[in-house]
Amino acid sequence: MTPLLTATGLAIGHGGKVLIRGIDLSLDRGSVLCLLGPNGAGKTTLFRTLLGLIPPVHGRIALGGEPLSRLSRLQVAARLAHVPQALATPFAFTALDIVLMGAAARLGPFARPGRVEAERAMAALDRLGIADLAGAEVTRLSGGQRQLVLIARALAQEAAAMVMDEPTASLDFANRRQVGHAIRRLADAGTGIILSSHDPDHAAAIADRALLLNRSGLLASGTVAETMTAGNLSRLYGIPVRREQGDDGRLRFY
Amino acid sequence: MMRLTRRALAGVLSILVAAGPALAQEGKTVTDAGGRQVRVPVDPARVFAAGPPAATLLYTLKPQAMIGWVRAPKPADLAWLRPEVADLPELGRLTGRGDTLNLEVLLAAGPDLIVDYGTVNATYVDLAGRVQEQAGVPYVLIDGSFAQMPRSIRQMSDLLGVPARGEALAAYAETTLADLDALLAEVPQAARPRVYLARGPEGVETAGRGSINAEIIERVGARNVVETEGDGLATVSPEQVQAWAPDVIVTIDRDFAAKVAQMPEWQGIPAVANGRVHLAPAVPFGFIDAPPSVNRLAGLIWLSHKLYPQAATGDLHAKIAEFYALFYGRRPDDAALAALLGD
Amino acid sequence: MAGAPTMPRWRPCWVTERRLNGWLALGLIATLAIGAAVGPYAIAPQQLVAVLSGDRSDPQAVTVLWNIRLPRVLAAAMVGAALAAAGAAYQTTFRNPLVSPDILGVSAGAGFGAVLGILLGWPVMAIQMLGFGTGLATVAMVLGLTMVLRGAGQVLVMVLCGIAIGALAGAGISLVKLLADPEQQLPAITFWLMGSLAGVKRPDIAAALPALLVGLAPLLALRWRIGLLAMGDDEARSMGIDATRLRLLVIACATLMTAAAVALAGVIGWIGLMVPHMARLLTGPRFDRLLPAAILIGAGFMVLVDTSARSIATVEVPLGILTAVLGAPLFVWLLARGTKAWSE
Repeated sequence: MTPLLTATGLAIGHGGKVLIRGIDLSLDRGSVLCLLGPNGAGKTTLFRTLLGLIPPVHGRIALGGEPLSRLSRLQVAARLAHVPQALATPFAFTALDIVLMGAAARLGPFARPGRVEAERAMAALDRLGIADLAGAEVTRLSGGQRQLVLIARALAQEAAAMVMDEPTASLDFANRRQVGHAIRRLADAGTGIILSSHDPDHAAAIADRALLLNRSGLLASGTVAETMTAGNLSRLYGIPVRREQGDDGRLRFY
Repeated sequence: MMRLTRRALAGVLSILVAAGPALAQEGKTVTDAGGRQVRVPVDPARVFAAGPPAATLLYTLKPQAMIGWVRAPKPADLAWLRPEVADLPELGRLTGRGDTLNLEVLLAAGPDLIVDYGTVNATYVDLAGRVQEQAGVPYVLIDGSFAQMPRSIRQMSDLLGVPARGEALAAYAETTLADLDALLAEVPQAARPRVYLARGPEGVETAGRGSINAEIIERVGARNVVETEGDGLATVSPEQVQAWAPDVIVTIDRDFAAKVAQMPEWQGIPAVANGRVHLAPAVPFGFIDAPPSVNRLAGLIWLSHKLYPQAATGDLHAKIAEFYALFYGRRPDDAALAALLGD
Repeated sequence: MAGAPTMPRWRPCWVTERRLNGWLALGLIATLAIGAAVGPYAIAPQQLVAVLSGDRSDPQAVTVLWNIRLPRVLAAAMVGAALAAAGAAYQTTFRNPLVSPDILGVSAGAGFGAVLGILLGWPVMAIQMLGFGTGLATVAMVLGLTMVLRGAGQVLVMVLCGIAIGALAGAGISLVKLLADPEQQLPAITFWLMGSLAGVKRPDIAAALPALLVGLAPLLALRWRIGLLAMGDDEARSMGIDATRLRLLVIACATLMTAAAVALAGVIGWIGLMVPHMARLLTGPRFDRLLPAAILIGAGFMVLVDTSARSIATVEVPLGILTAVLGAPLFVWLLARGTKAWSE
């Protein structure tokens, strides 16, 4: 099966200046790939490159086997959805309004979302367990609820793959767990998800594969068990890290 | 030009249609200063003047036909005006865009003629055509330049159906200008003062030679120290006035005239040192400008006495009294004259 | 999944939207009727109806109604609709509820052209066209400068360039005022800069209408997509929107409408800032719902303001003064009301 998203020999950066080179990655259906690395390692730049918001310096990116450079904005949106770190609008949209926006990739230029799109949007909210928030203004929701709304929008975009930039960064423990569960459920239902995180515990809990990026480049990539070793993480963050496996089989890092 | 003529014709046609047979019977066709052919009533009874200069001219020629003022007279002016027209309402001004006059207000006042007296340029020609077309009232432009004054008075009086009155005023204007020219022939260039026109409470607002506000200085044979050409007012520094060193300062600002002797930055200027700062009277209309209309004839007489005290003949007070009696219909008594002329 | 219980949650929105626009349209018709009925030249209601239905027996009433009052009412509606639509579009695409249509200097530019035309003594229609042209040119310069500096997507750079070029145009206006003859031109310039519809006649409307419609049509057609720009460029792009190009289109349309409005009526502040807020209280922030409501409210509001401008006193009151007097308190009230529709 063609991977949803592949990058080969990718070098990323701004204005021709290379930030990281030699990135190879591949995202399959139903898997969660987690990007780990310190601040400034270039995780957000990598995501923006994958989304086609900035061009790669070298290398190739393909969505569903087709080169990103040959896809239109709409075609990209139909294959790869984006969940930003936080809502960046000063306006008090309702959750449903936000989720409806996901339909843009499938609607004609002059169309407005109608009954079909509204039903899909409600379904997306429902899948994330926040259907009752449809009419609520997002400015009044908690951080976790807002994140779920953004994920619902990505879901309504009906793209097979999603990019999530630190979806749990600013969330408290309960919200983080709620969003984490939602992400895992989406992947289990077939969506390929690539996300970044600051929290190795959390990453280990929801990801299948991990990609370790630090300021000098790609450190390791592979399954969570083989990449997220104490040694790799110590090198990644520049501090000593211990790894333990709990009775439930989950990895924990200290 | 073609376009304007056609527009004017269209305007005339629309009047004929709108105003019906009454107007068509007793009308006449005149060519105005903008080259427009306008059909006007023979003896207009209700006339609106589109700007302050026209209002002044209309007041002097046919006050009984006025239907309102562009700017209502100030309380100080009232004593100098015919009481029957002094308290006519203020209707506002027509300028093309940003009028302060609502055409409905104008129509409600029921004018049979609109006149404007002043600068004639494409804006005003176009405005006249537009208003005439829109409101269905004939609109005539008359050239307001100083040199044309006697001719313009006659034109306006013919238009208003008061030729005899116009002839009297035009003859007065001609005599005044001729007297002035005779006086100037006696005054060599070297004896003609260099004049600064001071406006505003600080006296630093002035007008250059090309400006309608300072036109009278050149006409009276003096030299305006502000050599710029241009229509507008300019603000200058007292230092610049020091550099110009005018022999005479003419001002329209009462505060400035009262204070200038004490203002340190004005000391040493010949005009201030020699006490030749003259405050121009301003009631009911200004002597220098405000508005630039026939009222400036009084300003010419007054200035010729102030600028050439040796050469000027006759009694200034008597001349001004005669002008007020003839033009404004009110002869001021001696006390009022003394107050007006400030001496 | 999205079971029956959730269905009623969104369905009423569509119904409400249509019903709301219906009510607003009715309100607009009512204000147009008030505008046609009220004026210093007294026309009795029966006569008003008679003249409107073609009776020409009283030529004076025909002139007042058809040549003076109705063109003016129509112009007011057009100007209000244009400014409100442009304001709503700018607020959404610039993701800032406090911007107004002249954020990129269009009013200052159009104002400069118009006062220059007054100074040069041009015919009225030429003044209008010059103002329209310089308004467009000003925004074109801002966009050009933005592109030279940083690439067209940079909203902040764009706004700063707008402030700079707008300041230049403002300096030009001051210079023109200085050069103008203070007896006749200066009052005209001053009054024009405060906004007025006095002197508007049918050909002026015919000249402004195409620009208005050409500007409005794309905004209406694309209004749902334009609304996505409120989420920020990266988000809009990742949802399939070409944010840079769409924003340029919105700016072009809004500029066209604003320049036409300024050329027709002078500089009228507050409408473009205030009316979108009023509309947002009724529709919420979605641009596809906001735009039609803003257009209807803007048109009706402007008709009422202009009707007041020509009825309060014998002498016309500048529209800019009225909109500020009405707008500032309303704006403060909106702020005090908890900034419900747009607070963060």
